[in-house]
Amino acid sequence: MTTTVAPSIANPVSDFEKIPAELGLSETWEQKNGSRWLSPGMIDVRRMVELMLSHDARFVTITAMELPDDGGIRMDYHWDLDGELLTITTKASEKAAVSIHDLCPAADWIEREVHEYFAVDFAGREYAPLLLRAGETPGVNLHKEDE
Amino acid sequence: MSYRIPIGPYHPALEEPYKLDLVCEGETVLDAELRIGFNFRGIEHLAERRNYVQVIALMERVCGICSHVHTLSICQAVERLADLTPPPRALYIRVIMAELERLHSHVLWAGIAGKLMGFKTMFMTCFLLREKVMDALEIISGNRVNYAMNRVGGVNRDIADPGAVLDVIDFLEREIQRVIIPIFTTNRTVLERCAGVGVLTQQEAKAYGVVGPTARASGLPQDLRRAAPYAAYPEMEFSIPVETAGDVRARVVVRALEILESCRILRQALEHLPAGDWWGPTEEVEVPAGTAISRIEGPRGEVIYSVTADGENDTPQRVKVRTPTYANMPAVRLMLRGARLADAPLIQASIDPCYSCTDR
Repeated sequence: MTTTVAPSIANPVSDFEKIPAELGLSETWEQKNGSRWLSPGMIDVRRMVELMLSHDARFVTITAMELPDDGGIRMDYHWDLDGELLTITTKASEKAAVSIHDLCPAADWIEREVHEYFAVDFAGREYAPLLLRAGETPGVNLHKEDE
Repeated sequence: MSYRIPIGPYHPALEEPYKLDLVCEGETVLDAELRIGFNFRGIEHLAERRNYVQVIALMERVCGICSHVHTLSICQAVERLADLTPPPRALYIRVIMAELERLHSHVLWAGIAGKLMGFKTMFMTCFLLREKVMDALEIISGNRVNYAMNRVGGVNRDIADPGAVLDVIDFLEREIQRVIIPIFTTNRTVLERCAGVGVLTQQEAKAYGVVGPTARASGLPQDLRRAAPYAAYPEMEFSIPVETAGDVRARVVVRALEILESCRILRQALEHLPAGDWWGPTEEVEVPAGTAISRIEGPRGEVIYSVTADGENDTPQRVKVRTPTYANMPAVRLMLRGARLADAPLIQASIDPCYSCTDR
């Protein structure tokens, strides 16, 4: 077995600029607070995931956040492409979202966590017992409505 | 006939509480189920009720070993929101603390790995070296854990005597090269216990999104210090050790070589510590509305913080934390499939898991 010591990973020219057009969006990445964002509102999440994986992007995580005034749950999908952090923001209206864990096994635990914290139901998947805490009711930790 | 062996949540083979249910046939592990959440403290929830100064102290408690990484992550995110750049000396001090913390984490892990291999003298030797790292951390911060070094826009303490820290680094580098590297790379006991055990292929590592030394041991050369550099890392010269076998030995070797790279970075940072202030802004920092993300290469891999501010309150609207063990843990199931039951404790430990971080 040979140990290879990578000298310097040159930043390859990334093709993330093409992604919005490939998703059928007219907008482009917005550089905001040190990373790139795409906020198309509603989007075909599974298509987005297939596209990101085809670009060899690494799934990082999902950030879920309850929007004020009962505005639903904002879902930020974070990806790493050649060291560039790309975030695609969508919204889970009526606490419903599409599961991607079959396409991207790395998303399994975070979907379970978002389900537990915010009671978001990811269509197309079953849930193992609660991941991070005891109890049976999802959505009592970060979900402010239930406080 | 298959049978289940529960390990944990409280078990001598585990450093922290979590649960492994192993489905075995004979001495072979067929599958594993993992349960976490035994250290759940609701830290993300608490963060929404603390102001931007208090939340730094709160995040320092996410992890007992890589506490600096967590405060650095949240400070960087708030600095991005507030459009603040810390002074150069503060950026160097952040790198020095981060690399000392990596040394602390990797040397501690090497000791635990030694113990799980049945190599208890190695455990004692590593913990002796770990004490020296903690001495260096104490010289700088006054604390052996939870160093309280980071603040928004700077650091809380200067390094008044870089030479004293350099003396510790010289000693550590010499001892690590004399003891740890030869044992972890050539010793027969280590090779027999680790080679070909708990394999995670590059394809699996990619699919499961593993990070840090676990990813680098499976042939993925990802390291945020190089790919998305922060603090003073753009000014540091270092290499990224990568192994391709994906087994426990590869994880051992990657960490052992990373210890030397940390010493190399520490020497550069201490010798070229820029003059000037290190404390940053002295007025209260206004945090405008928006979301900023900060990523750090912690000892176990990528740590990511997403901080959202509403621009009106002095508390964050949302703080999301994704720790490296959270990303790496699901892949342990793959490493365990087909393994010998006796290797299970070493395999699960080979990702250097931290459940305190994972559960938050």
